[in-house]
Amino acid sequence: MSAVAAGGSREVWPKCCCLRIRSTSSFLQPISLYGFMSAPVDKREGLQSWGVLRHLVCWGLTVASLSFSPGCDPSERLYLLDLAGQQVNPLDPGKAQVTVFLFTRSDCPVSNRYAPEVRRLWEKFAPLGVVFWLVYPDPAESVATIRQHVKDYEYPCAALRDPQHTLVQWTEARVTPEAAVFRPGGKLVYRGRINNRFVDLGKTRAEATRHDLAEALEATLAGRPVPNERTPAVGCFIEKLP
Amino acid sequence: MTRSGKLTLSVSLLVALLAFGVVGWMMWSHTGSPEVYEPHPPGSLTFSNSIAPIVFEHCSGCHRPGESAPFSLLTYRDVERRATQIQEVTRSRFMPPWLPEPGHGEFSGQRSLSTDQIGRIQQWVAEGSVEGDASAMPPAPDRTEGWQLGEPDLVVKMVEPYTLASDGTDVFRNFIIPVTVPTTRYVRTFELRPGNPRVVHHAQVRIDRARSARHHDEQDTEPGFDGMQATESLTTDGHLLGWTPGKLPYEGREDMAWRVDPGTDLVLQLHLLPSGKPEVIQSSIGLFFSDRPPTQTPVVLRLGSKTIDIPAGKTDYVIEDSYQLPVDVEVLGVYPHAHYLAQEMKAFAKLPDGTTQWLIWIQQWDFNWQDEYRYSRPLFLPGGTKITMQYTYDNSSSNVRNPHHPPRRVVYGPQSSDEMGELWIQVLPRKRFELTILKTSFVRKDRAGRAAGYRHALQLNPDDPQTHYDLGTVLSAEGHKEEAITHYRQALHLRPRYYEAHYNLGNALMAQEKPEEAIEHYRQALKIRPNFSGAHYNLGYLLARQGSLVEAAVHLEQVLQIQPDNAGARSMLQRIRAQQADP
Repeated sequence: MSAVAAGGSREVWPKCCCLRIRSTSSFLQPISLYGFMSAPVDKREGLQSWGVLRHLVCWGLTVASLSFSPGCDPSERLYLLDLAGQQVNPLDPGKAQVTVFLFTRSDCPVSNRYAPEVRRLWEKFAPLGVVFWLVYPDPAESVATIRQHVKDYEYPCAALRDPQHTLVQWTEARVTPEAAVFRPGGKLVYRGRINNRFVDLGKTRAEATRHDLAEALEATLAGRPVPNERTPAVGCFIEKLP
Repeated sequence: MTRSGKLTLSVSLLVALLAFGVVGWMMWSHTGSPEVYEPHPPGSLTFSNSIAPIVFEHCSGCHRPGESAPFSLLTYRDVERRATQIQEVTRSRFMPPWLPEPGHGEFSGQRSLSTDQIGRIQQWVAEGSVEGDASAMPPAPDRTEGWQLGEPDLVVKMVEPYTLASDGTDVFRNFIIPVTVPTTRYVRTFELRPGNPRVVHHAQVRIDRARSARHHDEQDTEPGFDGMQATESLTTDGHLLGWTPGKLPYEGREDMAWRVDPGTDLVLQLHLLPSGKPEVIQSSIGLFFSDRPPTQTPVVLRLGSKTIDIPAGKTDYVIEDSYQLPVDVEVLGVYPHAHYLAQEMKAFAKLPDGTTQWLIWIQQWDFNWQDEYRYSRPLFLPGGTKITMQYTYDNSSSNVRNPHHPPRRVVYGPQSSDEMGELWIQVLPRKRFELTILKTSFVRKDRAGRAAGYRHALQLNPDDPQTHYDLGTVLSAEGHKEEAITHYRQALHLRPRYYEAHYNLGNALMAQEKPEEAIEHYRQALKIRPNFSGAHYNLGYLLARQGSLVEAAVHLEQVLQIQPDNAGARSMLQRIRAQQADP
């Protein structure tokens, strides 16, 4: 089966997180953006030189700071770009809300075909307090393209860019469309498909029979554990950064 | 035998064995054994030297601005940005889309990649998608914008644009495209510009000289009309008039041009896939005329089953149909068709000398990529050859494309939730005078298949007026007028405003020499559909025969208003006028 991100129940915290650095100004560039990147996980390609470097820098800092704490909260330092180019932290620990990120790209026919479903989910869950974000992980997609895309497909939610794959690596998202749900406090509780309508590229069911994202949101809102924390998503691959 | 003789013998035996082995291996590898990719030296594959030629030849035709694919693949950057995606979809053979198995029919415009090409892509991506020497890169393909066959002689288009909703399942919609020609012309070929290539998944064109489909259009408030059934009865004049994204239009043949008359409509059936946002579609058809009338008449043989009845959960339901060719033919192309349950499709010919010739083999059918396949060289089949088609269906829940969840019994029918199984084979008789033999023979076979299908459908649904009507037409054509009349009457009992049934019942009664009753049914048909030229014509004829010249003339004039070129009506009217002037 192609284009299916493997599910699994791995530890959800970024592997290289929890640097207790308080000063955000000194933390922003470049460390802030790499702070949450996991060590290279691409098993096929092995460690690439930049990956190795990143890995060493990251762990070096961790060890040097002597402040590694396994239970820390990464949401304090999640930085993505909004369409005005401003860094934003959608998982601001100050806001107690359920947050869902939907990875997308403007030219992926699979994620585009899900736009009406995203609208339906938004209409159902936004009034219950769920915050929706579109996330564009391809650094080559311009702000203008994204704005047009949001307009054309009538997305009801705001868009963010993840040009450094901070969130991609944290959530281990592999394709568009793929959803990541965080409960208040910033713990990743679901990552995977919106529903099971697509079985493979070019292979769809007449109708979805599993609505995994909706189930995850319902469970999280009710304070219950998500039944399937990871599901395989089908769509267009999120290419690794060079 | 001498020692040297023995040696010579063993050497020749060895050589023969070796030769046999090599030939055997070659044959074996030719018949689709799993070929193995021989990796190139590590680091030797670059975009410039190895990947660009593959992408430009096999992908860029669709992956370019204004064409059907969702993004362009024209530069290194375009490809490198999607390297993993390309690696995956070529490995799984999802792209480029091509269903037939190699070695089981040689088709023109074959799009599939070879094992070596797929292997190169895998290796190149795994090695980091290196660009290489950009200056050595072949130029991106320079494909003509717009009409691929040049400026058409006539461009006709959908009268109004149609808006496809953003969501939902596939839509099958028919659009009437009037052909505005002042005199009869002969079409060598056509080219479709879908208008919105990203949502038009495939298209078929049918020829409607009697404008019979307009009625369906009038009943639907939106542009066009729904469904796959309404156009079933329309002709393609012995041609396969299909269109699929990325296919280069067919050049056509002057000697096989098809006719359009003033007033002819083309009916364009579009298979549309919602994209996630509302999409506007207004397709155009470019017609390329031939200067001369055709000298050859191709025939489309339709093999298949109309009695498909698949129990819920059945994983290996098989249909099979055969036809023995009465004359020598050349096979020009095939168009396999089924819906979402079909899996494997096989079609082959058993020649009188016992050899088997593959027509097509599709291991995994995909409705979305159905296509017509033209042989790169016409395939000769001598008279006496038996053509067989065999399709397999999976109506279990393990077939994810199953439109029913949970699975349920599925029977033959034109809706995409029903199932079909057809193979259209375009053939040309070797000897022109044998055309009639072929047509007569095939029509009989086809009628028998259709009659069986309608009878099966009536068992399932005895109160369907259309099935009674359809069975009536087949029975009537076979000469079983009495039985046909019974079914037409049944159809009218179930649907009193069924004007086609009134008309056909009129015809059957006329053949039974019951003109009074026939006249009554033509009148009924005209009450429901006043501009029905066929009913005006036959009514005019019968009235003239009875001596009611004034009324007959009124109806024949109506025919000429609708079809100004109707020669029969004109000559009858002239005779009536002459008779009226000189009683």
